[in-house]
Amino acid sequence: MSTVAIPATNQLRPELGDFSSIICFKALVVGTEEALGEKAAAIALMAAGRTRGRQVAEQLNLTGKGIASEGIIALLQAALGKEGTRLCIVEKIVETEESITVYCRETICSAGEPAGSPRKLTFTLGAIQGVMEQVTGKRLRGKQTESVLRGSSYDVIEFDVIS
Amino acid sequence: MAINTEKLGIVLQNFVTATSDVQGAALVTPDGLPLAASLPGGMDEERVSAMSAAMLSLGERIGQELARGGVDRIYVEGDKGYGILTSCGEDAVLLVLADQKAKQGVLMLEIKRAVAEIKLILN
Repeated sequence: MSTVAIPATNQLRPELGDFSSIICFKALVVGTEEALGEKAAAIALMAAGRTRGRQVAEQLNLTGKGIASEGIIALLQAALGKEGTRLCIVEKIVETEESITVYCRETICSAGEPAGSPRKLTFTLGAIQGVMEQVTGKRLRGKQTESVLRGSSYDVIEFDVIS
Repeated sequence: MAINTEKLGIVLQNFVTATSDVQGAALVTPDGLPLAASLPGGMDEERVSAMSAAMLSLGERIGQELARGGVDRIYVEGDKGYGILTSCGEDAVLLVLADQKAKQGVLMLEIKRAVAEIKLILN
């Protein structure tokens, strides 16, 4: 079964449906951070995100297509946004010679955090990175440069090309 | 700024082939991304990288929480050999895999030399 988009019908659980609460996701993140430390937990979550992102890009047939390919944002919104798994809304992608900047809204990582929280994107960053690596065929290194939790309108991730 | 991963790959390849009883090596970023690797077949570079960075980070936490101070190296000794994780400053972590016949003193010395060479490229 394709896991790109979550269909309206309940395919994974007959009664509860295919969505789970952000509260449980956050408890998983915080619990992992308490057990392993923030940094090790972030590494694990980002790695999991990258795997997921690559899977999404492959299933959307975006491998090697390039950022400029037509409809990439619409496809990502359909896969990860309201009609998809609801990880986040990818608003825009800006590519320059040296970097790729992705603007996201309503990311699962920032959801439910108080204003001013120092929390950073982990799984979301990894997932977007996985997509971008698969789309561009390049190895990237991502860092969050802006956060909705710290006054920005978007969670912004900037990717530098490693190789 | 892009890192010269090609050069790092050559350094790792030379290290693995020139050091007796070393079976593989990988250089990864502190956030778990692969920079260069020369690993035995069947090992997933991405997974090894995330695991190595997480392990070193966990080691640092253990050092801190259990008042063991700063951690430069994580040493895993199994009945089939060794896995040694060494910090290469702020930019990278070196993983070295060696078989059980490896002489630890010589191995550590060779790792120290490789780390110095890698740091020059990273800087």
